[in-house]
Amino acid sequence: MDTLQYALRKLVTGIPLVLGVTFISFVLMVYFGPDKTYELIGKNATPEQIAEIRSQLGYDEPFFVRYADYLRQLVTLEFGYSDSTGERVSRILTRTIPVSLALTLPGFVLGNVLAVVLALVAGFYRGGLIDRAIMAGAVVGMSISFLIIIIGFQVLLSSSYGINYFPVRGWEVYSLADYLYYVTVPTLAIVFVSLGYNTRFYRAVIVEEMNRDHVRTARAFGTPPIKLLFRNVLRNAAIPIITRIMFSIPLVVISGSLLIESYFGIPGVGKVTYDAITTGDQPILKAVVGATAVLFVLTLIATDVMYKVIDPRVSLK
Amino acid sequence: MLNRNPRTLGAVAASIAIALLAGCGGGGQPQTNADGTPLKVYRHSMDGAPVNLDPVQSAVVYSNFVVLNAYDTLYSYKYLARPYELKPNLAKGMPEVSEDGLTYTIHLKEGSGFIDDPAFPDGKGREVVAQDFVYSIKRHFDPKNRSQGAWLWQGRIVGLDQWKDDGADYSQDVEGLKALDDHSIQIKLVKPYPQLTYTLAMGFSGIVAQEAVEKYGRELSIHPVGSGPYKVERFSTAKAVLVPNPNFRQEPVDLAAEGFDPAVHGDYGLDAIDGKAPPFVDRLEIDFITETASRWASFTSDKEVQFTSVPVEQIDSVLGSKQPVTVSDAWAKRYHWKSGVEAGFIYTYFNMDKPYFGYNDDPAIEAKNKALRCAMRDAFSWAERNERFYSGIGTVFPGIIAPVVPEFDPSLSEASVTQHMEKAKQQLRDAGWTPETLPELTYGYSSAVFYRQVFEQFRGFMNQLGFPLAKIQGRTFATFGDFNKAIKTSQLDIGGLGWGLDYPDAENTLQLFYGPNRTPGSNNPNYANPEFDALFEQASTMQPGPERTELYRKMNEMVIDDCVAITGMSRNKVYLWHKNVVGVPDREILGGFWLKYVDVKTGGSEE
Repeated sequence: MDTLQYALRKLVTGIPLVLGVTFISFVLMVYFGPDKTYELIGKNATPEQIAEIRSQLGYDEPFFVRYADYLRQLVTLEFGYSDSTGERVSRILTRTIPVSLALTLPGFVLGNVLAVVLALVAGFYRGGLIDRAIMAGAVVGMSISFLIIIIGFQVLLSSSYGINYFPVRGWEVYSLADYLYYVTVPTLAIVFVSLGYNTRFYRAVIVEEMNRDHVRTARAFGTPPIKLLFRNVLRNAAIPIITRIMFSIPLVVISGSLLIESYFGIPGVGKVTYDAITTGDQPILKAVVGATAVLFVLTLIATDVMYKVIDPRVSLK
Repeated sequence: MLNRNPRTLGAVAASIAIALLAGCGGGGQPQTNADGTPLKVYRHSMDGAPVNLDPVQSAVVYSNFVVLNAYDTLYSYKYLARPYELKPNLAKGMPEVSEDGLTYTIHLKEGSGFIDDPAFPDGKGREVVAQDFVYSIKRHFDPKNRSQGAWLWQGRIVGLDQWKDDGADYSQDVEGLKALDDHSIQIKLVKPYPQLTYTLAMGFSGIVAQEAVEKYGRELSIHPVGSGPYKVERFSTAKAVLVPNPNFRQEPVDLAAEGFDPAVHGDYGLDAIDGKAPPFVDRLEIDFITETASRWASFTSDKEVQFTSVPVEQIDSVLGSKQPVTVSDAWAKRYHWKSGVEAGFIYTYFNMDKPYFGYNDDPAIEAKNKALRCAMRDAFSWAERNERFYSGIGTVFPGIIAPVVPEFDPSLSEASVTQHMEKAKQQLRDAGWTPETLPELTYGYSSAVFYRQVFEQFRGFMNQLGFPLAKIQGRTFATFGDFNKAIKTSQLDIGGLGWGLDYPDAENTLQLFYGPNRTPGSNNPNYANPEFDALFEQASTMQPGPERTELYRKMNEMVIDDCVAITGMSRNKVYLWHKNVVGVPDREILGGFWLKYVDVKTGGSEE
């Protein structure tokens, strides 16, 4: 009951946050974003046609009228139609978000799970050869551009210069076999690039925990290494790890992965968002910004609740 | 026995790699037809993606490409004839034109149908009739459709502009745009418009059904309901999947009439389609791939896209020679290839609105400005631009009449496209310009590494001429829309631009310098030469012929002599496609029309 009350209270206090984020974003969109008018006009437009388009885009409305309209859209979840494609924004998001989730989730999960395992091993052998080897690998992963990693995996696994088993592009998923066929190479690229960053971060957390008195006591008591790492170290290091993972979720859901989607020809939300930013497609941007803000508030609440679950000493007030 | 299908192999490898399920069943789309014959799939690639498939908003080449396959047009171009030649498409014949050139009567073929779609009663596509054409053109003049093609007919068709001003009520007739009966159209013009028939072969004139517009509204842009050879089954920014329209008219291909030349087209296997009715493939997939590395990997994997233009970074490894363009034996053995000059050109314009650079009330200053512009043009090296950014295979030509149009003059002096640095410096000195008095000029470009490099090369030439570097300022724009806004509101002094021809008639490029088309129209330099304008108006009502060509060429020379722009070059593209594909690709004037004729050999490996 306390948890529910806490969640509701946080939800209410999240409203100013959403308002603040949407307001600042909207100011940026209106005053600093691209002017869509001149992308929509024909080759030989007249001033009257330009004025017509500006009016249809709502550019001639006062700022606060437009912002009020945005808030109404946020409440009703009706963002109208994309200025570029003419497709209903809600349809675009419901079509592309699941694709991005299916695309990035395996890499996200594997990238974090493997990183935690590697960080535990590195932390346990801190300063030794294994630790240095893992950290060197992490630095290599962090140092190589994501683009190079993508192209490298494509060449190795998907081209006639490599084993040519997997597709370079596409997303024709009708079965588990199809899914594995299309998701494998993108997943490997995501894992490769995320492993370095995640491992370094988690190792720092684990090492800090390893130096605590209770771990030293457990070691002195003769607790086996695996049990020590998972029960005494990982559990107590879980809060920063969970924080990092949880706050990555809104970005995974909404942003997808632009480079992965572009290079693998996958119709996800990352590409849609990127195109909307670069072309000033405000209906899509408004929806994405609003959804991201709301998701962050929900994530914030979920994270707090998880703290309580993991560490009963945490009180939700 | 091991199945060598890459999809299955990939799935198996993936399954092992991630220790998931053993023996996952293969899925995917069916690879055979209902009768068991192999499905014929042609997988095309393009270097950009369409955003909107509504004919009224099909200005971008990528949109136009798909629109021409989903929607029918009255006219199209002969598949293989070059120079490009119009031919009837949905129209029975070429238009019947009155003696005064003002009334066009066009008869439609009977029995051509829209795709089956829930927009129609019982989901059955009905026959295309003349009223559909009238409705489709009217849509361009309905402000809520944000038409990008209205300019083609603006001020040309009797009563159409007035119809818009009166509120765009579709129940109201337009005097100059009528369906005489179900299969006859009459168009009355305000004044002769010889390019009218060309406009009826553009995606903008694709014929839509009113029922579909009423059902899908703005989402017609992603849900095309047309009567073209294909039906769009699926569309995203990554890919379009099209299947044949079963209601499309059955018209056997007459290769001879399409301009087949055995010496040019003999190796492409086109005889296989002669006498048969298109479309020939069971599925047409178009991948939109902007990333060249990804497109190249997909093409050379030999199991995905079957067509690509050769990316600049691969040109040196693919070409055997640049003049003339040939591909090396190894690539020619592996793939079909073709090269061709684009239907368009690139140029750098000077904004004549600027009194320190263009027109000036003081004739002496204006003459001095002209000397400056001419010196800048003469200091520019097209040869280096071509070599550095276009692999040295572009076609440099003087003026604004591109090599692809019949009015092109190959004998015109190339002095205006040849670098004369010493002459340019002398011109500056003679006109009294010094590094101190030279104006500070702003060069605009879209924010991308390529355009930045192009700007720096331009600035380098000007620096050699005598401009201090600080006096040629670059101004970047995050999007093309913002760049276009700066041009259309006359903010820039100089800008690099490209123009894709809408039809193979030099009028389409000459109008870029016609005074009344000044910004926000297409005359970006804001060139205003009464003599040019008078010739343009005179030529605009003339039918093609030597007399009109003479006028076109005079106008071309005016643009060169007045140093309004540094122009020009048509880029050359090299295309590769798999040997099991039967077809001759073209993305220029013919554009998407050629996909109607594409076929794929099945059974056995590629040749």
